[in-house]
Amino acid sequence: MTRKPTSSDHIVDEKFEPWERNGRMPLPVVWVAVALAIWGTGTLLTTSGGAPETAVEAAVQQDRPVDAPDSGAALFAANCATCHQPNGSGVRLAVPPLRGSEFPAQGPELVANVLLRGIDGPIRVDGHDYDGHMPSFSAAFGDAEIAELASYVAATFGDRDDGVDTATVADLRARAVGQGTWSGGEALAAAYPGLPPQPAFSSASVTPVSADVSALIFEGRDDVWACASCHGDLGQGVENTPRLSGLSADYIAKQLRDFQTGTRANEHMSFVAKGLTEADIAGLGAYYAGLSVPSTAAPILGGDLKRGETLALVGDWDLGVPACFSCHGPSGFGVAPNFPALSAQQAPYTASQLAAWAGGHRANSPLSLMDQISKGLSTDDRRAVADYLASLPAVPAGSTGAVAKEGDGHDL
Amino acid sequence: MTSENPETGRTVKRTIYALAGGLVLVAAGALALESGLVPGWISGRAKVAQSATDPTYFQPPTEAEIPDGPNGDAIRRGREIFMNTATNAGEFVGNGLACANCHLDAGKEPLSAPMWAAWGQYPKYRGKNKMINTMEDRVMGCFTYSMNAQHSVAGHPPPHGHDIYRDLEIYFSWLATGAPNRTKMAGAGFGTVAKPEGGYSLERGKAVFAENCAVCHGADGQGQTDINGRIVFPPLWGPNSFNWGAGMGRINTAAAFIKHNMPLSQPGKLTDQQAWDVAAYIDSHERPKDPRQKSGMSVEEVRATFHKNEDSWYGKEIDGVLVGVGTPEPERPVGAPENEG
Repeated sequence: MTRKPTSSDHIVDEKFEPWERNGRMPLPVVWVAVALAIWGTGTLLTTSGGAPETAVEAAVQQDRPVDAPDSGAALFAANCATCHQPNGSGVRLAVPPLRGSEFPAQGPELVANVLLRGIDGPIRVDGHDYDGHMPSFSAAFGDAEIAELASYVAATFGDRDDGVDTATVADLRARAVGQGTWSGGEALAAAYPGLPPQPAFSSASVTPVSADVSALIFEGRDDVWACASCHGDLGQGVENTPRLSGLSADYIAKQLRDFQTGTRANEHMSFVAKGLTEADIAGLGAYYAGLSVPSTAAPILGGDLKRGETLALVGDWDLGVPACFSCHGPSGFGVAPNFPALSAQQAPYTASQLAAWAGGHRANSPLSLMDQISKGLSTDDRRAVADYLASLPAVPAGSTGAVAKEGDGHDL
Repeated sequence: MTSENPETGRTVKRTIYALAGGLVLVAAGALALESGLVPGWISGRAKVAQSATDPTYFQPPTEAEIPDGPNGDAIRRGREIFMNTATNAGEFVGNGLACANCHLDAGKEPLSAPMWAAWGQYPKYRGKNKMINTMEDRVMGCFTYSMNAQHSVAGHPPPHGHDIYRDLEIYFSWLATGAPNRTKMAGAGFGTVAKPEGGYSLERGKAVFAENCAVCHGADGQGQTDINGRIVFPPLWGPNSFNWGAGMGRINTAAAFIKHNMPLSQPGKLTDQQAWDVAAYIDSHERPKDPRQKSGMSVEEVRATFHKNEDSWYGKEIDGVLVGVGTPEPERPVGAPENEG
C-alpha cells in the first residue's frame, strides 16, 4: 500500500501483533477438534462396509454354486423340520405327521410328487383330518435335491428303501407343469390307490377378479400405473419391489391405506394409492392374497444364512429380538391380518424395510413392534435374515386361492 | 530455523498434548457410551431388553453346546417337548398351549420363570399341595393345570416315572449347567409387581388389552393361528387355555409375567397399574374348571379350600355372574382322532 506507516499505526501493531502471534487456540478446543476427527474417521470406516450393497448382490448372484446336493437328512433338517418337526411328529391339529403316516409308505415317488407340487386341500393322516397347505418346493430345489429328500423321507418314515433317481424326478417335474398343487388327499389317493380313504375336496368358489381390478393391475387407470408394471405379472416382486402374492388381503389393504394417509412413506406408492377407492383396495387385497406363485426370491445379499435361520427360528433375545416366526408364523407364512408372510419375500426389500424401521423411516408397525426389533439388528443381521427368508418356499394360497401359473398374465 | 528455536519445541509439545487430549476424549466418550451412561436420545441406541443383557443374570449354555450321545439326545427330546408340548406330549395336553408360551425363549429368558433358576430349587415344600415336591411333582402340576390334562386324550397328567419327565428334567438341568444350587437367583420366577394402592379395574384393563394385546392374541383373547391352523399366539382364556388351577389365573402372577415380558420384545412397556389392570381383565374370563373341583363340590367350596386369600376372580361374581364354573366339556378329548380306524 502507498500509505506510509504513522507512529500511531506502529504502536497499534506493536500492541496487537505479539498477542496474535503467540496467542494460540486453547488446548481444550484442539482436543475436541482432534476427538471429532478421530470419531468421524472411525464412523466412516465402520459404516462404509454396508454401502455398496448392490455391488455385493450382483457379485453373489453370479456365483451361486450348483454343487452336489446336500444329503437328504440335511435337506430335511433345513427345510422340512420347521413344520413336520425334526422327529417327523408334525404339529397336533395343524401339520400332518410323517412318522406313522400312510403317505411316505407309498414310496419315494409320491413324496417327490408332493414336494414338487405342494398340497392345498384337506388330507387325512393316521386318522386325523388336516386342512392341508404345503408349499411347492419345485422352485427351491433341483431334481437331484428332490430325489435325495424324497428318498430320505420315504426311507425314514415309510420304511421304503427303494429310492428315487434324478431322472425320474425330472420326468415327474415335466408332468407336473401346469398341474398346480394337489387338491388335498383326495387327488393323491386317485393317483396312488394304496392310500386310505381321504376327505372329499370341495373346490371353494373362487370369486373372479372384477374387470376394474384386473384393469388396474395390468393396464393401470388414468394417472395410476399398473401394479404389474413394478410388482410383476404375478405379484412376485423383484429386488426392492415386494412380492405381493400370498400376503393377506387385510395386510395389503392396510398398507395401501397407510400410503394414502402418509402413515407409510413411499413417493410412488402414495401417489398410486391416492388414486384408489376402497373398492379397489379390497379387490386388490383379495386378488393378491389368493395368488399362489412359486418363489422368485433368492438369497442375493451375501448374508449369513445360518445366522438368518437362527434369527427367524429362535431370535436373539440378548438383543431384544424374538424369533421372526414367533409372530409371523412357524413357517413365515404370516398371521392375518397384522403379520405379513415373510417367506419368499425379495431379500433386498426385506432388508430395506428393516433398515427403514431402524432408521425411523417406516413407522406403521402395530405397537411399533418392528421399529424396536429392527433397531436391535445390525446391518449384517438384517442381510442375514432377509436372505434366509428369501430362501424359503412361497406361502401356499388358502383353499380359496386362485392358482396362477407362469405366463397366465392377463388371462387370470 | 534450527532445532534450537524454542518455538519448534513448543509446537511439537503442543501437537502431542493436542493428540493425547483428543484420544483421551474419544476414549472417555466411548467408555461412557459402552457403559450406558449416555442417554438413548443422544447416543441413538435403543434400550432394548436391557434386562436380558444384564450381566447379573445367569447365562445358560447355548444350543450349539448340547453334547452328542444319549445325554444330548435326551436334552433335545426335552427341548422338543418344551417347545411343542401339544405334539410331543400330546396325549397329556388338553389345550393349545406349550411350556414355552409362558417360559419364553425355550425356558431361558430371565423373569419368565427360567428353568435354570427353577432347577436348583427342587425338591421343596409347596403350599399349593402341602408336601415336598420333586421337579417331577412340579411338572406334573404344570400338566394338571396349565396344560389342562383333564381334557387330554389320557385325561390325566403323565404318570410318575414317565419318560416325558426324564427328558424335561435333563433339559432343565442342562440349562442350569454351572448354576448355584438352592440359591434364589436373579431373574427367577416372573418377578413381582406390587399391587397398586387403588387396586385394579376391569374397564381400564379392557382398554389396555385392546391397545396392547389384541394385535397378537386377538380381540377375543383366543390367539391366532397360521394358514394350517397352527397356533402362533396362544389363547389367553376360554376352553383352549390354562384352567382355573393354574398359577397364571392369579392376577398378581399374570401381572408380573405381563409387566416383565409383554408385549413380546417390549418388556416393561406397561406401567405396574396397567399390568395389574390387564391381568385382572384377562383372568376375569371363564376357562376350564379347576380340576380339584371333584364332583359334588361347589365353586364356593373350591374357593375356600384352594383359592383362599389369593388375588383372583375365582369364586367371585362379576356383574352378578359367578366366575370359575368352567368352560363346557369338549365333545371328545382334545387331540383325539376324528376318524377311528
